[in-house]
Amino acid sequence: MKRYSKYLLPGGLFFLILWGGMVVCRIDPILLLKGIPQGIKLFGYMIPPAWEKMPELVKPALETLQIAFVGTALGACFSFLIGLIAARNIHSFRLLRDVTRALLSAERALPDLIVMLFFVAIVGFGAFPGVMALMASSIGMLGKLFADAIEEVDPKPIESLEAIGATKIQVIHYAILPQVLPSLIANTLYRFEVNIRMSVLLGVVGAGGIGYSLVTSMRLLKYQESMGAILIILLLVIFCEKSAELFRKVMIGQELLK
Amino acid sequence: MLTLKNISKKLPDGRLLLKDISFHVQKGEFVGILGESGVGKTVLLRCINGLTRPDRGEVILDGDGIPQKINGKKGKELRTIRRKIGMIFQGSILVKRLTVLENVLTGGLGRISTVRSLVYGFTDKEVDQALRALDQVGIRSLAHRRAETLSGGEMQRVAIARAIFQEPHLLLADEPVSNLDPKNTEVVLDFLKPLTKQMAIVGVFHAPKLVSKYCTRIIGIRDGLVVYDGSPELDDTALNLIYGTKDRSLKEMAN
Repeated sequence: MKRYSKYLLPGGLFFLILWGGMVVCRIDPILLLKGIPQGIKLFGYMIPPAWEKMPELVKPALETLQIAFVGTALGACFSFLIGLIAARNIHSFRLLRDVTRALLSAERALPDLIVMLFFVAIVGFGAFPGVMALMASSIGMLGKLFADAIEEVDPKPIESLEAIGATKIQVIHYAILPQVLPSLIANTLYRFEVNIRMSVLLGVVGAGGIGYSLVTSMRLLKYQESMGAILIILLLVIFCEKSAELFRKVMIGQELLK
Repeated sequence: MLTLKNISKKLPDGRLLLKDISFHVQKGEFVGILGESGVGKTVLLRCINGLTRPDRGEVILDGDGIPQKINGKKGKELRTIRRKIGMIFQGSILVKRLTVLENVLTGGLGRISTVRSLVYGFTDKEVDQALRALDQVGIRSLAHRRAETLSGGEMQRVAIARAIFQEPHLLLADEPVSNLDPKNTEVVLDFLKPLTKQMAIVGVFHAPKLVSKYCTRIIGIRDGLVVYDGSPELDDTALNLIYGTKDRSLKEMAN
């Protein structure tokens, strides 16, 4: 009995907090069970999907894809520059580096939807604030990852190029970029997969695209159209993940051949 | 060609590593710097091209007939002088993920502008020249292999090809063969030696036996001073001067 007594206090505390949380959140399994018929009814309204409306959804789907693509691409480019500023081995302005790192952390601490609301407040609704929000949140993550990758490169080639009179940009181009490129590509592809989902979600809060089509049809109670939008979102996300996977394979394949 | 005047350098902990080093190197010389490990040979070499800043003294390079002071220079001026000084390090300096040819081409970065290196890089003529440099060290067939697939000896030969392509007046070699087996050591030094026709070579070595065969002159450093400067044929007196008599093992290494 004594062996378990030390778990009594933390264990009891944990269950107390859990119970309290459940009360506050009004966890009610009965309500969930009671809701099942309602759920089935809603699903019934959605079937069959509005096939005839699906072609109209292709354009918003492409818009969602474009928001994700442009946001990721711009984010990755800026992240490389910011990564250079945030890395310890590129320059000797410590304050600049620390401030950059702190800003990147602050960005990561902000939920993406809040970033989106911020950009909506400045530039209004549409794809543009969506792209900006995705770019900002991509920079928060990729900027840090790129900076870490840059810090881990082999320092000898860098010094050897500095020793023969190469400029800073030449050193970055010939000694640093080749070393970090695989990590840049892998992380950017991963971020693209995150961003395509985010892009759908941002559509719901005003970035347009397929997310907006989905929420509009739900509000108008056109559930069959909603089902069409959900199917298209599924296809879009799967398509993007498969493309990223293929691209990754092609890149690694080239690595092995060389 | 190269003149060092009264170089001194303190370590961060305040110890005076190099007290007062002066010597002059002519074109065509292959100077070997010897000394016990920790005596500051590498620091001295790095003072020459400004990778380390000496506390006092002057380093003057006179390649085109215009003497230029190296230490104290910064930015563009420093880069301009560094173009004329090649450097080979201990171990590999190659960018492992670039090809052998690309690594050789980086030797010419000092010559071309940043904008050009970003926009189109090197011309066909320069690529031919780089291939000839690889020919000179006998590894042209490896030109399109990735640097990471090479052996240690091959990597050091690429580093030499890079220095040939750079066309410097002076080549600094920081223990270029200390990571290599005896056979590769000879191969690398055999490729290094003929370069003295175009440039002066100053190298740091830790095996005295080796250097007499390749160097034209030895400079021995001990306690921060030049204690020997002369013929590469080192007799016992010379070895005692450089390494001291107390340490038997070092003398044995020499024989």
